[in-house]
Amino acid sequence: MTSQAATVGIQEKSGMDPKKLGVWTASVGIWFLPLLWIDPTTYAVLTVAGLAMGMLIFLTASGLTLIFGLMDVLNLAHGAFFVWGAYVGFSLLNALQKIGWVEGAGAAQSIGSVMLCLLAALVVGGIMGIVLEKMLVRLTYGSHLKQILITMGASLILVEVLKVVWSPNDEVVIVPQAFQGSWDVMDVIVTKCRVVAIVVGLAVLAGIQLVMMRTKLGIIVRAGVENKEVVETLGYNIRRVFTGVFCAGAALAAVGGTMWSIFKEQIHPAMGEENLIFALIVVIIGGMGSVTGSFLGAIMVGLAFNYVAYTLPPLALGANIMIMAVILLIRPTGLMGKD
Amino acid sequence: MENKAMQPTPVQMERRALRQVRFTRPALWVQLLLLACLIAGPLLLPSFRAMDVMTKVMIFAVVAASYDLILGYTGILSLAHVTFFGIGAYSLALVTFHSGHSAWYHIFVAMALAVGLSGVLAVALAFFSLRVKAIFFTMMSLAFAEFVFILGDQWHDLTMGEDGVSFNLPGVFNVNWSSGTIFGAPLNGRLLTYYFILVASVLLFIGLVRFVRSPVGRVLKSVRDNEQRSTALGYKTFHYKVLSNVFGSVVASLAGVLFAMWLGYVNPTSVLGVPVMLNVLLMVIIGGMGTLYGSIMGAAFIQVAEAWLPDLQKLAVLLLPTVEVAHRLAERWILYFGILFILVVIFFPKGLVGTARDIIARRKLRLAEPNH
Amino acid sequence: MAEAILSLERVHTYIEQHHILQGVDLSFMPGQATVLLGRNGAGKSTTLRTIMGLTPASSGSITLKSQAIQAMKPYEVAKLGVGFVPEDQAVLYTLSVEENFRLAMLTENESAWARMETIFELFPDMKKFWRSKAGVLSGGQKQMLAIARAFVNDHDLLLIDEPSKGLAPIVVDHLIESINHIKNHTTVILVEQNFYMASHVGVAYFILDDGRTVHQGLMADLVHDEGLKQKYLGIA
Repeated sequence: MTSQAATVGIQEKSGMDPKKLGVWTASVGIWFLPLLWIDPTTYAVLTVAGLAMGMLIFLTASGLTLIFGLMDVLNLAHGAFFVWGAYVGFSLLNALQKIGWVEGAGAAQSIGSVMLCLLAALVVGGIMGIVLEKMLVRLTYGSHLKQILITMGASLILVEVLKVVWSPNDEVVIVPQAFQGSWDVMDVIVTKCRVVAIVVGLAVLAGIQLVMMRTKLGIIVRAGVENKEVVETLGYNIRRVFTGVFCAGAALAAVGGTMWSIFKEQIHPAMGEENLIFALIVVIIGGMGSVTGSFLGAIMVGLAFNYVAYTLPPLALGANIMIMAVILLIRPTGLMGKD
Repeated sequence: MENKAMQPTPVQMERRALRQVRFTRPALWVQLLLLACLIAGPLLLPSFRAMDVMTKVMIFAVVAASYDLILGYTGILSLAHVTFFGIGAYSLALVTFHSGHSAWYHIFVAMALAVGLSGVLAVALAFFSLRVKAIFFTMMSLAFAEFVFILGDQWHDLTMGEDGVSFNLPGVFNVNWSSGTIFGAPLNGRLLTYYFILVASVLLFIGLVRFVRSPVGRVLKSVRDNEQRSTALGYKTFHYKVLSNVFGSVVASLAGVLFAMWLGYVNPTSVLGVPVMLNVLLMVIIGGMGTLYGSIMGAAFIQVAEAWLPDLQKLAVLLLPTVEVAHRLAERWILYFGILFILVVIFFPKGLVGTARDIIARRKLRLAEPNH
Repeated sequence: MAEAILSLERVHTYIEQHHILQGVDLSFMPGQATVLLGRNGAGKSTTLRTIMGLTPASSGSITLKSQAIQAMKPYEVAKLGVGFVPEDQAVLYTLSVEENFRLAMLTENESAWARMETIFELFPDMKKFWRSKAGVLSGGQKQMLAIARAFVNDHDLLLIDEPSKGLAPIVVDHLIESINHIKNHTTVILVEQNFYMASHVGVAYFILDDGRTVHQGLMADLVHDEGLKQKYLGIA
């Protein structure tokens, strides 16, 4: 059997090529290591926390990686979309509180509140994304330096406007009743919010994968990530695809922000910047343009952060930087980046 | 026998031509004027605020120029430059603080520590920049800068965390030292510290200028413009990149030491924060990438703005005492910074000095044309 | 006299500061295959890319079916019925063969899938590797895919850039056969260094040198003109 036929065989059976399969297995397996020094119950709690955190970072990172991969744009305003989503969610929850849909609300109303918040964030983020892309990002194609400067400037402006519209102080977010508290599963305390975060994250991943793998739009975007020119000569207005992807990325980041606000129950204007750093690390680890890569990277970062924060708190962020450095040394394009 | 070694090389010929016009070039007069202002400044305007702004302009001009070396001349976009600045500042602060008293040798120990640490770190970063694509390196450097910031913020035992470190300078530099007046201004620790910083900054800046005009600097420009060509010509571009990175980073850390000397207090936000990095980047962009002298203009612009823009809020309250939105808008002077950032990048991509040089060059070209 | 489907008049193109096309004049008759010949660096590929809008012309006019297209973006040119098979990286490796074809189809309707049947007859490997990632195909198969993909739409005009580069002779024969199959209803403009292929596909030719048209005529005449071949193509 020729190696080409063998490769094709594995591909057809599992849907991905053997190298990537190997990467997946190794990356997942390594996370059982902390069981060596952490007891199983605490490990379970930390794992859930880590997965939840990872999912929320994934929401921001997924948009960021697509924007890099397709448009070759370094968007440092992504954090601004995140924090705007958070504040929009906060205000909406305050408004919903007045009709009793938050504190003391039943399951249906709670779910309704959260869904409304996600929807609002999606819309606000999407609009911000379109406006930013058409006004500013458009001017920066081809120059990474310009992108960094302009998107950083835009980020500053957006965060300052946020401080004017709301306030520069921290705010407390009220969480819908049904999502407060936790369940006791075999002695492991599982916070409800974390489960919600994981569910939302998985849903988003599934949604993105569906669009990317099964729809014509997905084919166009994946093709564009590999080679914009060919896609354009096949008759597609790649600029419009850019705007669309930028808009989707911004919307996702805003949704991430809303989820984070419910998750952490408090928000502050600088949270966008903080989340952006994590998202950047995840995108680097996962590889530019790869959504599955950033999913993997996000889980890694979330888990690593929580395991290390439990053992050696001040090293938590440092651990992630170390992981990023190690991965870049082995595979400079990231886990699933283009070779 | 003819001595072929006597034939001047093109570089030597250019240098000779430059040297001949050295004292007549208008740029030189501007530089001397600037220097005169800095020397006379504190004597003419003894207010603390004026001296503070001038000192910060000097120090940040050096930091921005050292960043320009790496960004404008070598073409590497690193967002970790502020880390070196912070290392320098913390070196002096921690050495003085942890030894319990202040002594002269502290300054030198701090400088040596800063240079050593920065040098090693710069080499490590340069290694990474070779290994990964430019855009990855930029993102990585940003993450790294944030990491060091958080380290400084959280490592209470060493750095006192976000509270920062307060310390005093030794001998005549001490804020409490004073002895009469000189040229009408009070002769005290502040004044002497100012002049020390002035001399040090000028030396560091001249060092950068000489570096850029040296043969090494030429190779750097060729690496920036067309790296493949430089490699093909036989230059080990990596070595040159590392060299310029190290030099720029070390200069920045020495500027950090000076900054600590002036403030007598360091904390993570003022010397390690990403906003400081952004400021430096903006200074280089406003002044003009690849011009070194542009950094002086950029630093002046930004520091003056930062010193006086917060007063905008007071103005707003004065003019429109009841319109609260106006107060809030005026309070957010960073907002205008952001708008400025964007406008400069779009309309003046070459910065002030860069655009000026462009205009002058174009005028010379037009005058040189025979008939039009 | 039949109208040219595509004509270029005094077209100049710059790539950065290099003046590649220095006044190119060309005209292509519908329903026949025309070959662009010339040495390396003569500007043949750039001509195709300029027609397509990838490296826009700085001056001159390009007329396609009586429409001026020199200022159009590549996707607009493509939508007017122009297919393009670039020199390299025509195929998208991370997509499957099926996705490559689906991407190329402007409309996924019955006639498109009917054409796929013809394509499967001409290129059986495409059916065999339908679901595999295009990256696992051999060099020759990738070229086949690139050309096959261009047949999927009912293009009026097909621009093909050096398809035989790096391919084994038997594959080249297969390629010639398939191009000859479609040139009946599609105008083909072929850039080729391989004179064997050029002469078996092309009916008319233009020779470019230093970014200008220096000679044109019928392939049947060129085949016998050793002097011309030696002068401009370096063929002994």
